[in-house]
Amino acid sequence: MTAQTDAPSAAPDPVSTGIGKLIVPSLIGGLVALTLGIYGRLHSPTGVVVNIAGFSSAGYVKSWLATVATVFAIVQVISALVMYGKIPRVTAPSWIGTLHRWSGRIAFLVAVPVAVNCLYALGFQTYSTRVLIHSILGCAFFGAFSIKMLILPKRGVPGWALPVAGALVFTVLVALWFTSAFWFFSTFGVHR
Amino acid sequence: MKLNTPLVTLLAGLVLGVGVLVTSAVWGSGSSSAATPAGNPYAATSSAPAATTAAPAQSSPATAPTTAAPTSPAPATAATTAPAQATAATTAPAQATAPAAASSGTNAYPPKADYVGKVNGGGAAVAISVHGTKAVAYLCNGGAVASWLRGSVSAGKLNLTGKNGARLSLDYRKSDATGFLMTDGTKYTFSAPLVHRVPSLHRQPGLYEATATVHGVMIKAGWIVLQDGSQIGSVEYDPGSAFPPTAQAPVLDLSTGTAQYDGVTLVASLISGLSGSGF
Repeated sequence: MTAQTDAPSAAPDPVSTGIGKLIVPSLIGGLVALTLGIYGRLHSPTGVVVNIAGFSSAGYVKSWLATVATVFAIVQVISALVMYGKIPRVTAPSWIGTLHRWSGRIAFLVAVPVAVNCLYALGFQTYSTRVLIHSILGCAFFGAFSIKMLILPKRGVPGWALPVAGALVFTVLVALWFTSAFWFFSTFGVHR
Repeated sequence: MKLNTPLVTLLAGLVLGVGVLVTSAVWGSGSSSAATPAGNPYAATSSAPAATTAAPAQSSPATAPTTAAPTSPAPATAATTAPAQATAATTAPAQATAPAAASSGTNAYPPKADYVGKVNGGGAAVAISVHGTKAVAYLCNGGAVASWLRGSVSAGKLNLTGKNGARLSLDYRKSDATGFLMTDGTKYTFSAPLVHRVPSLHRQPGLYEATATVHGVMIKAGWIVLQDGSQIGSVEYDPGSAFPPTAQAPVLDLSTGTAQYDGVTLVASLISGLSGSGF
């Protein structure tokens, strides 16, 4: 990435420099979201989708993958709360960090094929409120996730940055799930 | 140096995404010619009149002549581009509700008839078009439910089937068609009256269909125009897929027979058992 050398000396103004460290990740995240949206809008949707054996349609494949991602995202929130000691009478076990990292990786990697499929086969669409919201949030999710990943290794960012970014990613993902998989299951039934 | 694992995660996602994209592109180019031979012509034309020539994605049991039959009744396009092996009746289907001379007398069931009506409970509408030995039925709720069914006729009874196990069973007479339709696990019962001509309407009550390619994806809209001139319609996105996403159809302009969908003009064609258009 860009130069992100941590100043070894004490920062002259912790608040401003801390916030300053969020600028580049935020710009990159915005760029990611914008790129996905522009691609989805300009690229002519193929309608062609790769189905996975055992599922009745690509819609179900995507709905289940999105559900898996959302379940892991819930694990994310719970493990984060435990990690930061926000749940009373629960002390963080030693493996909580590993759980948090791997549930996040799985959720992200499971969501990627769904997004590719959406953008490639269906594109950024606006033909109904649900679809419009889903299209916007779908692009925003990967932007928000990029921001979160990019500020994660940084030292000296404000304390609220990671929780806010994480909460944003989680909220957007849940909203995505409701505008897609939940709608799909409630419309066509819950099966494979 | 410590590994920047979040960055690795991001890059892994990027690699995975590109991988899935390439797989989709390769898989898609390989299958579009084999699995859906009619797919490419649609992708090439986004003009609505061309899109109304046929509905190839629909895997109806009908034979080749009938799939070619849905010539456009669009008044704007006087000369339809489709190979018009259709009869004269298809050229003026809008004024189609000619007297059902064939069904005169005491015949309990008419050989050609169109029925429209709301289902019991009113949550959806159903249209049934019977033309000789063939029949088409459509049910939609103006939202996510849309089901097309086809099949053959046997002496006043219809047993039609559609996608995903949808089935219809009814008895039809000169007055109405009474039965039930199962789709997506829901059972709709109905008693749909025979369509009567309404002089004040440019487009008569009945079943209308339009297909078009919008932003590269085929859509199929169906409208049921009820006897009072009101309408209920749903549009299926990518109707060839197993479970097409379905939503409310745009309003069908009954004076022009067209509708606007995402900037594309849909030209609706009547599926009438009486006139034979759409069969």
